[in-house]
Amino acid sequence: MKILLVEDNERVSQFVIKGLQEAGHTTDHAANGRDGMFLAASEPYDVIIMDRMLPGEIDGLAIVEVLRKTGKRTPILILSALSEVDDRIRGLRAGGDDYLTKPFAFGELLARLDALHRRAHGVNQEAPLTVGNLHMDPMTRKVNRGDRQIVLQPREFKLLEFLMRHADQVVTRTMLLENVWDYHFDPQTNVVDVHISKLRQKIDAEFDRPLLRTVRNAGYMVTAG
Amino acid sequence: MIRSSAVSLALAYSILGFAALILFAFPLWYAWQGTIREGRAEILLADAQRLTDIYRRDGADALKTFIDARVQMQIAGERILLLTDSQLHPLAGNLAAWPKTVPAVTGDYHIQVDMGERGGIQAAFVHVAMLGRYNLLVGRDNRLFAPLEKRFWYGLTGAIAVLSIAGILIGVITRRALMSRVDSIRQTISAIIHGDLKHRLPTHLKDDELNTLSRTINGMLEQIELLVHGVRNVSNSIAHDLRTPLAELRSRLEELALIRPPAAETFQEIDGAVADVDRVIRIFDALLRLAEIDAGMRRSGFVPLDVADLAATAVEFYAPAAELKNIALTFHSDGPLAVSGDPVLLAQALSNLIDNALKFAPANGAIDVAVRRRGDGAGEIAVSDDGPGIADAEKAKVMERFYRGDASRGTPGVGLGLSLVQAVAKLHGYALELTDRDPGLRIVLSLAAQKMLS
Repeated sequence: MKILLVEDNERVSQFVIKGLQEAGHTTDHAANGRDGMFLAASEPYDVIIMDRMLPGEIDGLAIVEVLRKTGKRTPILILSALSEVDDRIRGLRAGGDDYLTKPFAFGELLARLDALHRRAHGVNQEAPLTVGNLHMDPMTRKVNRGDRQIVLQPREFKLLEFLMRHADQVVTRTMLLENVWDYHFDPQTNVVDVHISKLRQKIDAEFDRPLLRTVRNAGYMVTAG
Repeated sequence: MIRSSAVSLALAYSILGFAALILFAFPLWYAWQGTIREGRAEILLADAQRLTDIYRRDGADALKTFIDARVQMQIAGERILLLTDSQLHPLAGNLAAWPKTVPAVTGDYHIQVDMGERGGIQAAFVHVAMLGRYNLLVGRDNRLFAPLEKRFWYGLTGAIAVLSIAGILIGVITRRALMSRVDSIRQTISAIIHGDLKHRLPTHLKDDELNTLSRTINGMLEQIELLVHGVRNVSNSIAHDLRTPLAELRSRLEELALIRPPAAETFQEIDGAVADVDRVIRIFDALLRLAEIDAGMRRSGFVPLDVADLAATAVEFYAPAAELKNIALTFHSDGPLAVSGDPVLLAQALSNLIDNALKFAPANGAIDVAVRRRGDGAGEIAVSDDGPGIADAEKAKVMERFYRGDASRGTPGVGLGLSLVQAVAKLHGYALELTDRDPGLRIVLSLAAQKMLS
């Protein structure tokens, strides 16, 4: 992916750029709103990481608004030290596609960037999903592994659907909470892990090759590889 | 003085009073004057008529005699009579000569006449009658009406004086009364400015404007004191409860720097350090959210929502965790319960309640979540468990920030769960109640009837 990072804090910038480089992405960096605006408007990027608070007259939200008004559809992840739900809603309303509060784990950032990138490349909501020999038909809501049918509860179905739509990508606990349960808070205990292990029981227990994997310090991944 | 609102109000009222008085007095004055003039003219006309009648009936000599007798008879001399021949030579009456300003033509005139020893009479009013060869002048002294007029003007001046004095007095008295109350308010407020938030403005039983204002300000002070107290509590709690994980983190890192253990161990320690930092961040987030709720900032995020649906999701969310502990987690509801609220906060509060119950319920225990509409139209969310419960002495404390009861020792958590539930309840105007179930605890969130959407 070609990524633009608009962030004024040098330490955070270096941490992100290095991490993205290790993950195989190229990153352009702008340290203020003016440069950020120029790069975002003139260069083609797969994803933009935009800090909300920037030095100078132009802040992150203003850039997002201008880009959207001029018809740029590049997915934007807003980075902010403001964690209030209202700020999150404001960021998304301005035209951001996702919102991440500082401080964040790099795994969380990477997972969200992957998800944004994939979402931008027009996914067909109705097309059947396949990972290895696991098949899901969102229309008929049927799930099969090999020739065996798997019966899932509605929420388990939603959980597996989200994981399969992001197959081969790390999906964090927070992403699952937000997308599967619409929970925008941290429920202290690791309830998500329990849901995952229940789901794993149903799709992996009786097969040699596990599809649902735990990625240490990051989250989960459904992959056939 | 003029800048005082009481004085300027009194002044305005006085001016209004003057205007009303003048508006009333002048038409009256003119009407009165008109009536008097007409009355006088009538009297003079009647007099002239009678004298003419005597002349017609008995001739000029009889008239002369009558006029002389009339002039002799009158005491005050208010009547003016004069009979002349066609050349205006006086024949009878109490005027020495025909006044030059009066033409010998029948009509009403207003003149000054010379009455000899009685001097000039201002504004005598005369009527002239033509009797062929004779001219007759009948008049009256206007000075008779002067005392009446004078009294009218005195009355008017007196009224204006009384009005002015009353206006000034009322202004001054009101200002004094107002100033003394404003002064006491000012003193209280300056005490508050200097940091003593305990003070309240004096209020009376009487519900006047100032009292209503004082009451409102007192309500505001109550809220400010609460918030300041909250902030103070939070800062104390932060000082105490963030220090512990930070101290752990510090010693972990310092030890690493000192000992420099082999790589594998170092990485393990670094993972532990990151987990420590995450814990600090979690406490921070929880505190910030609490502060945000306390400040009432979240009210803008209120939307219509179904509490029963939120509760059902929360129960479903915790079901696998309950299953793992072999706890029966059940949910009851009698249909949707629509309220206006913050969905994120209510979901978090519900999740905290169930999370707490799961922590304290014994293995093979039971937890019930019920959303019900009560008979009085109010709604309630009740979370019951059969755990150790909370002793009465502890019930108030568990709402405090960072308080962890004896039963929670050894369980994960930072002691902010119920504080958040309480803050969310307060924000929404719901009552939070803890009751014993023996064994166990029942936490009820009551939604007042007027808060519900039908």
